[in-house]
Amino acid sequence: MAPKRSNARESTPSTTATSQISTPAATSTPSVPVKSTPKSSSGNLSPQEVALSIWQNYLDTTPQRTKLIDVFMTFLVVVGALQFVYCVIAGNYPFNAFLSGFSATVGQFVLTASLRIQTNTENKAEFTSVSPERAFADYVFGSLILHFFCVNFIN
Amino acid sequence: MRWLLSFLFLGLLGVAQALSASGNRLLVVLEELDDKSKYSKYFGDLEGRGFQITYESPKSESVGLFTLGERAYEHLLILPSKSKGLGPNLTPKILLEFINKGGNILLTLSAITPTPTALVSLLLELDIHLPTERNALVVDHFNYDTLSASEKHDVVLLPRPDTIRPGVKNFFKGDGKGGEVIAFPRGVGQSLGNTSPLLTPVLRAPRTAYSYNPKDEAESLEDVFAAGPQLSLVTTMQARNSARFTVVGSAEMLEDGWFTGEVKRSVGMGGVGTDAKKVKTCNQAFAKEITGWAFQEIGVLKVGKIEHRLNEGVRSNITNPKIYRVKNDVEYSIELSEWSWDKWVPFTPVAEDVVQLEFSMLSPFHRLDLAASGTTTNSTVFTTSFKLPDQHGIFNFKVNYKRPFLTNVEEKNTVTVRHFAHDEYPRSWVISGAWPWIAGIAATITGWLGFVALWLWSKPVPLKLTTSGKKIQ
Repeated sequence: MAPKRSNARESTPSTTATSQISTPAATSTPSVPVKSTPKSSSGNLSPQEVALSIWQNYLDTTPQRTKLIDVFMTFLVVVGALQFVYCVIAGNYPFNAFLSGFSATVGQFVLTASLRIQTNTENKAEFTSVSPERAFADYVFGSLILHFFCVNFIN
Repeated sequence: MRWLLSFLFLGLLGVAQALSASGNRLLVVLEELDDKSKYSKYFGDLEGRGFQITYESPKSESVGLFTLGERAYEHLLILPSKSKGLGPNLTPKILLEFINKGGNILLTLSAITPTPTALVSLLLELDIHLPTERNALVVDHFNYDTLSASEKHDVVLLPRPDTIRPGVKNFFKGDGKGGEVIAFPRGVGQSLGNTSPLLTPVLRAPRTAYSYNPKDEAESLEDVFAAGPQLSLVTTMQARNSARFTVVGSAEMLEDGWFTGEVKRSVGMGGVGTDAKKVKTCNQAFAKEITGWAFQEIGVLKVGKIEHRLNEGVRSNITNPKIYRVKNDVEYSIELSEWSWDKWVPFTPVAEDVVQLEFSMLSPFHRLDLAASGTTTNSTVFTTSFKLPDQHGIFNFKVNYKRPFLTNVEEKNTVTVRHFAHDEYPRSWVISGAWPWIAGIAATITGWLGFVALWLWSKPVPLKLTTSGKKIQ
């Protein structure tokens, strides 16, 4: 259900994103003078403000599909970390199960990262011969093979 | 006529069975054939037990332990002789070869007739040492016979021997009631080397005995060859092929006179035996036990059926398969019988002892006690069950049972232990420990499906602004 929820959160990015864009923008604009007044207009920004502006910039400039990829990758990191922590705490007894579970997540992460690289508009020049559709088809094919291997290996 | 013959045959069979486990041909080597009469009771006992005795003088041409390269006799009894050696047909080399081929030798010594140098060197080879003085004899000033040796103290009286250590069967204690006396007249004590595991003393000298040379004129002894329990009066050696070599320090104790004679012990250490009475010696019974052991009439083990099989919940009907899998549950059983004078009886180890099974590849992976699980009319079945180790390879079921006074049992059965076939591992969901990782795969795959669905559903939104300023899609 977790992916569903995250997707659900992300399934209305067009609306929420726009609203988010508007709200942080609205808050950030007043925050700049608020922060600047105690800093005596040195031009330095606090780390919090830097992070906020990076986040804002990310929200503004990232295409919606790339955001979707990022959400999925975050989800994979969480799942992978949980599996690893479990292995450290409870031991790796059916070691093949740990290997296949963990490597399914890691492999999925790598494949998704590749998809992100290939479909990123920034990298358009790098992948002139690979259209985003082709990249997605490759991704699906690779993922299916990975799932097949992992399900087999966990026995 | 025919039925008579068959009865004769049956009778012969009956005679032939009442004997040693290895055979009944006995060669007695004694110098003067007239000396036979001195040992008439002893030889009578032997013949009564079914031995077929051949008497030879060491000097005779015809004496020979081998015919056409095979043993002509199963057993050899050497009585003392005055000559320096036993002649060209009984050299130490030939005697050793006789042992190597499974023959049993009972050697008797005497202080009156010095031991031939050939025999001394044979004994040295077996790590049994005799006193260097050729006339040395064992004396004891506390445990001598007052009737026959009140002056010389050279007839040593001993009780029946105890078990040499816990866990060893004692064949030589008679009925075990105690109070019996063995007379050991004018014998030669032996000292044993420490290194040979094959040597076992049966009868050791009492604490106060020592080896003494009567030719020595000196008042006090300076250089005692050996004293006390260092001196072994009756020594046994069982070779690795279970052939037996026995040394009896005093041939005289086998003579008729000492079989029936009466003795009266002296006053021993701490006033023991102050009110001693005349008692009959138990030499005859002891001689029977020693000779019986030496000629493999007792203490011979036989391995019967060996079975191993799969026993995983249900006992498999297939016995002794060539191959097992790692972690199989396996049952092993071995039948052991012991020859007791004239028949095979079920073998039971003594209380502190146990028969063990090794499951080994180069070194044992398991060494397990075998428990008696049942008896047949003439054997005990020893069984154990265990789980094979998690190691594939060529393994041996090995029973290596070597004990003093019992013939060696060394049984090896080789089996292959294979690893799991790919479809014999437990499935992942059977192991609860794997569930989190199954959940991990499930989460990854469902997440991926959701991601793909969303990806296909969502429309690529062309962005107006890119950092590189390029136009998109």
